[in-house]
Amino acid sequence: MRVFFNELVKNKVLFLMILPALLFFIVFSYIPMVGIYYAFTNFSFDGGLFGSPFVGLQNFKFLFESGALYNLTKNTVLYNLAFIFVGNILQLVCAVFLSEMAGKYFKKATQSIMFLPFFISFVLIGAFVYNLFNFETGAVNTLLRELGLQPYDFYLHTAPWKYIIVFFNVWKGLGYGTVIYLAAIMGISDEYHEAAKIDGANIFKRIRYITLPLLRPTFILLILLSLGGILKGQFDLFWQIVGNNGMLYDATDIIDTYVYRSLAINFDIGMGTAAGLFQSFFGFVLVVTVNWIVRKVQKDYALF
Amino acid sequence: MKKRLFKLLSICMTVAMLTAMLSACGGSGGSGSGSSEEGKGTDSSSKETAATTDDGKPDTSKKVVLNWYLLGDAHADTPKVVAEWNKMLEQDLNTTVKLNFTTWNDWQTKYNLLLASGEKVDMLFASSWADFFKYSKQGAFLDLTELLPKYAPDTWKEVPEQDWKDVSVGGKILAVPSTYPEYTPDGLVYREDWREELNVPEITDLDSIEKYLEAVKTVKKVTPIKGKAWNEVNTLFHSYYDFKNIGGDSGVIVAKSYDTPRDVVAYPFTTEFEEWAKRMKTWADKGFWTSNTLSIQQESGDFIKTGTGAVYWRNAPGASGFISDIEKNYKQIKKMGYFPFTRFHNYAVPNLGINNGMAIPKNSENPERSLMVLEKLRNDPKYYNLMTYGIEGENYTLDDKGEITSPPEGKDPKKGYSIASWGWRYSKNDHPSSSRWAGEDELIAEFKAESKPEIFSPILMDYQPVKSQLAAVNQVYQQFGMPLMMGLVPDVDKAIENYRNKLKAAGVDEVLAYVQKEVNAYADEKGLK
Amino acid sequence: MRAERSTIVFYIMGYIVISVLTLLCLLPFWLIISGSLSAEDDIIRDGFQLVPQHFSFDAYKAVFSNPMQIFKAYEVTIGLTLAGTALGLFFTSMAGYVLSRKDFKYRDKLAFFIYFTTLFSGGLIPWYIMIVNYLNWKDSYMALLVPSLLSAWNIILMKNFMKSIPDSIVESAKIDGAGEFTIYRRLILPLSTPGLATIGLFLGLAYWNDWFSANIFITTESKYPLQFLLYKILASAAVLKTNIAGNLGADFKAPAETLKMAVAIVVTGPIIFLYPFVQRYFVKGLTIGAVKG
Repeated sequence: MRVFFNELVKNKVLFLMILPALLFFIVFSYIPMVGIYYAFTNFSFDGGLFGSPFVGLQNFKFLFESGALYNLTKNTVLYNLAFIFVGNILQLVCAVFLSEMAGKYFKKATQSIMFLPFFISFVLIGAFVYNLFNFETGAVNTLLRELGLQPYDFYLHTAPWKYIIVFFNVWKGLGYGTVIYLAAIMGISDEYHEAAKIDGANIFKRIRYITLPLLRPTFILLILLSLGGILKGQFDLFWQIVGNNGMLYDATDIIDTYVYRSLAINFDIGMGTAAGLFQSFFGFVLVVTVNWIVRKVQKDYALF
Repeated sequence: MKKRLFKLLSICMTVAMLTAMLSACGGSGGSGSGSSEEGKGTDSSSKETAATTDDGKPDTSKKVVLNWYLLGDAHADTPKVVAEWNKMLEQDLNTTVKLNFTTWNDWQTKYNLLLASGEKVDMLFASSWADFFKYSKQGAFLDLTELLPKYAPDTWKEVPEQDWKDVSVGGKILAVPSTYPEYTPDGLVYREDWREELNVPEITDLDSIEKYLEAVKTVKKVTPIKGKAWNEVNTLFHSYYDFKNIGGDSGVIVAKSYDTPRDVVAYPFTTEFEEWAKRMKTWADKGFWTSNTLSIQQESGDFIKTGTGAVYWRNAPGASGFISDIEKNYKQIKKMGYFPFTRFHNYAVPNLGINNGMAIPKNSENPERSLMVLEKLRNDPKYYNLMTYGIEGENYTLDDKGEITSPPEGKDPKKGYSIASWGWRYSKNDHPSSSRWAGEDELIAEFKAESKPEIFSPILMDYQPVKSQLAAVNQVYQQFGMPLMMGLVPDVDKAIENYRNKLKAAGVDEVLAYVQKEVNAYADEKGLK
Repeated sequence: MRAERSTIVFYIMGYIVISVLTLLCLLPFWLIISGSLSAEDDIIRDGFQLVPQHFSFDAYKAVFSNPMQIFKAYEVTIGLTLAGTALGLFFTSMAGYVLSRKDFKYRDKLAFFIYFTTLFSGGLIPWYIMIVNYLNWKDSYMALLVPSLLSAWNIILMKNFMKSIPDSIVESAKIDGAGEFTIYRRLILPLSTPGLATIGLFLGLAYWNDWFSANIFITTESKYPLQFLLYKILASAAVLKTNIAGNLGADFKAPAETLKMAVAIVVTGPIIFLYPFVQRYFVKGLTIGAVKG
């Protein structure tokens, strides 16, 4: 305690500077966390949060009893890993190219255009997917027919959908993520590159030995940040593309869509909260573990 | 200087944030129980203060501002209409109402937030299809039993006894139902002009539907149900076999027919379902709908309008609206037809009154005044017309047949006024539209002649003892049941077996036992067979 | 300076990769523009087309049917975006700076305290109760402004950007007798422009795109921000189409097709104006060397 007060006095300005942020999270995140208790009650408006009867883990039962949880967790984790890694690597590649390339207007224009998909709603993405892949009039099948090939009914097969979904997710986030890496590259001092140039290093070498290593903390940070949400899915993305098509669920069902279907007919605050808590807990354990490992290897890269 | 400014600023910030936080902490200490007690407190106290004046009329000497919520969106002219309304209310009841709307897309979220947070809402649109019974069971609404005779005497007298019973949960009247007997059976809208042109028999049963679809597909080369075909097929299935949903739920548990309410089954285990799934497989293979029909979000009605679809599921009033829209705006379509599914078994069932209604949430501060406003709204034609049809001359005109033209001749179509006014609907004051589909009156007459009372919707179930099984069953139903129903599986027999196994594993038997128990209790009470 | 062979190879690769990706991003957008200018029936019948079969401005007319309202909504959104971005950037960068200071003892604990909020949440209802019942912000601009000011993501990203600033700068400034806030304002902020521009962009986008807070908190029409107004226009178009008034079932369907696309175009406005402005700060040279020299 005394250490803390000494620290407080010594760094009082620093404490003051971070205080607004801490208060913000207390008011808008920590206090509302009392709502987690909903997961353990049978909610009624009569009782409210604390007056409703306590039911223990009963609200979690629907997740575990169905036997689908393993497949759901696997799907959710794999999709998110694909989103995280494919997305980050592509964003990094774009950022590196854009930072090194000449042609001011080309760069500016392409950067702006890459940001456009961010504004396209999932509803419209769903419409694109339909227009591309439907059996009767979809662009892909029209092309196949014109080439004299056998048309392929995407909506009856599970195989292509993982690629389609990953593609559209990565596509939507491309511009957004690229900006982060671009900003990080801009933080790298020119001196390093100048020195390397004088030493005769070509552009590939400079990227390999200067830019990439210096981007590593950012890359690891972004991965760590995303891992916490590894069990939380992009509900809208899956819903708009797959909808009610049970035929595709083996490959496309994630926890969020599953919970939505389970509760769509008879919504229950307790069960909804319970599902969210399960997702949070899983992410929490994962992040703390991975962060611990990262910390062992390279303290500076750790998230906390 | 700047440093000092910053210090001052940060201190101000800190103080502000801290006070906000402390007050929040203080409140949240007993948040749940506290707020509900507050609610109860205001109930009893307001009941005491709301004394009556000498002539027996409720005292309105205190000016009151009420907070109302309706489902859906406002019309562009709603502010004008509400301003006019408030002028009248201020004069008659010394009251004004702030009329809020939930918007259509997220009304469920908003209902949950409004009711769970204990906001002071004095009136809310309520309906069996907007979870009225669920919210009632969870204690979201105020008991109106004692308030009604005093503050809404006309309504109290004029709403039929049965309708009050339908909105009673645990002996408490929790809503004011609309009084507008109405039939909303499912059915199919189809292109009558094509049927005549293709020379297929009139649509009277399942075989003639199949012949029509087949002709459309093979001769016209049009996919008959091009959008999402789920509703078309699912309602057709239920109506064809007379499988009745219980308690308004659309899951797998049904009563086997209207005449045998106690015969409750999970329909996927019936031979009827097997037969149906096989037939639908042939329909899907023939291309009556597309293979992505469960993914697509578009209504099949849209395709009819562009000449690329031939069938659309609508309930009877919906069909009437759809057909009159086509008659007005799509002249290239010569003639539409409608086949109500009531014709499979030759009876129709009217809606419950609470298909639309108004309820007062627990935390209302002025339930008495709110009821008085509703009383006016239902019974005074001046109020009723204003809030239902808008401003006369501007949004509608009324002819001497008592029919409404909205918007008035020659006005911008956007002037046609419509909000979710169904909660106070009262047939006595309601006016039919002059541009309604000509077939509508005939249909209504047909339904009235074969009317049987609604016995399945009022069975109230909250599934509390089996809610996790229910969630699992609903999930299985969507994942495996829907593709089967749509004939999209490669091997029907295998798929049915798999579906049944999954349902068993999910606990369908326990859900069935629960429903059976509730149905028996209900049937005993009502003296049903 | 003569370009090396490897540089040329690199450029060719770069142009190919970037051009392909750009095309993939541009084509759908083109289709949306074309769709927004098409007749509704064409879209329903034939789907997306590169060039509209029949030009129609109906969708845009529907969006701008009440120009005064849209104008007002733009005002609200622009005001919120500016205020939110400025305030958010101020608090985010302060917090990020404190967390980036390696000599600050509790930085890991505080970073965890902040990050933890992204993992667990009490859900929508308690958050709503906090804002409506305790802070009393129902139907207030505060409810749109304050709850989105800070995000753990932004603070941690900010911290990461600032970490690349050498400690020696802070050390030498301290020796010169500069206070902590002065160091932050005079030295750290100018050195962090790419990071500030990035976070500012994200904040701006978040405020610009936010319709959800208005959806649950705002009940007065004149306070609607643009996104929420558009959202409502879409929703009511859907209702008009279903003839809901004559149809008392709860089947509400997706909005009219071309309107969806016109709305997508209208909301994309900011990126066209804002992004080039932000790009000015993505320039090398605003780095350590420049300040030292």
